[in-house]
Amino acid sequence: MTVSEFAEKSGYAVFTKGEERTIENGYCGDFLSNIISRAPESCCWLTVMNNVNVAAVATLIDCACIVLCEGTEPDEAFFSRAKQLGIWVLGANENVFEASKKVAALCGV
Amino acid sequence: MECIRLAYDVDGENFSSAGNASESVKRTLKQLGVSPASVRRVAIAMYEGEINMVIHAHGGRAEVEIYPDYIDIYLKDHGPGIADIDLAMKAGWSTASENIRSLGFGAGMGLPNMKNYSDEMKVDSTVGVGTTVFLRVRF
Repeated sequence: MTVSEFAEKSGYAVFTKGEERTIENGYCGDFLSNIISRAPESCCWLTVMNNVNVAAVATLIDCACIVLCEGTEPDEAFFSRAKQLGIWVLGANENVFEASKKVAALCGV
Repeated sequence: MECIRLAYDVDGENFSSAGNASESVKRTLKQLGVSPASVRRVAIAMYEGEINMVIHAHGGRAEVEIYPDYIDIYLKDHGPGIADIDLAMKAGWSTASENIRSLGFGAGMGLPNMKNYSDEMKVDSTVGVGTTVFLRVRF
């Protein structure tokens, strides 16, 4: 499923948009060094971490999108960096576990 | 042998620019047609090095030499140095502050990730003088 389809079906907030991508996998985590070494490409990355380095890491791992869980909203620096780098950043009110279930159900990953 | 040389100053005071050097190298390698898997390994190893310089050494300098089959990366800083390199290489070991941890770093995976994602790695460090990390990644 593409990120825009996922955003629409999940009802999640869309903070920034990027080029159209397909979600092929999922990964949850907040420790950036773990994400860097373990998150698969084209994944939907679920996190509650909210700072500008999340955007840098997202481009490194080449994820399809970031979902900020538990009502987290990107701060100004994160928002502008994500916009500049063309990264999809979505927002969910659910916790990471509930959001992962939604990603799995909708995207079949 | 002819190579492409790139150099970057890594700003130690500015956490938001951390990753700029590795992002630039990543773009260059992509343009040169290096395979995505190799580009990813280089970007990860170099990003961890950049972050280390920002967290521990008030910044430093990253010098890169791109050859047809591999890339050499030198990360040089004048930070506090590493007292026990073997211990620093251990996954999970970190001296990062609570503040750094709250940013998502300090999991003690930086040096181990650099080792895992490079083909050769050498750490030269003198306490009170600084650290140079050499990384080679083959394409």
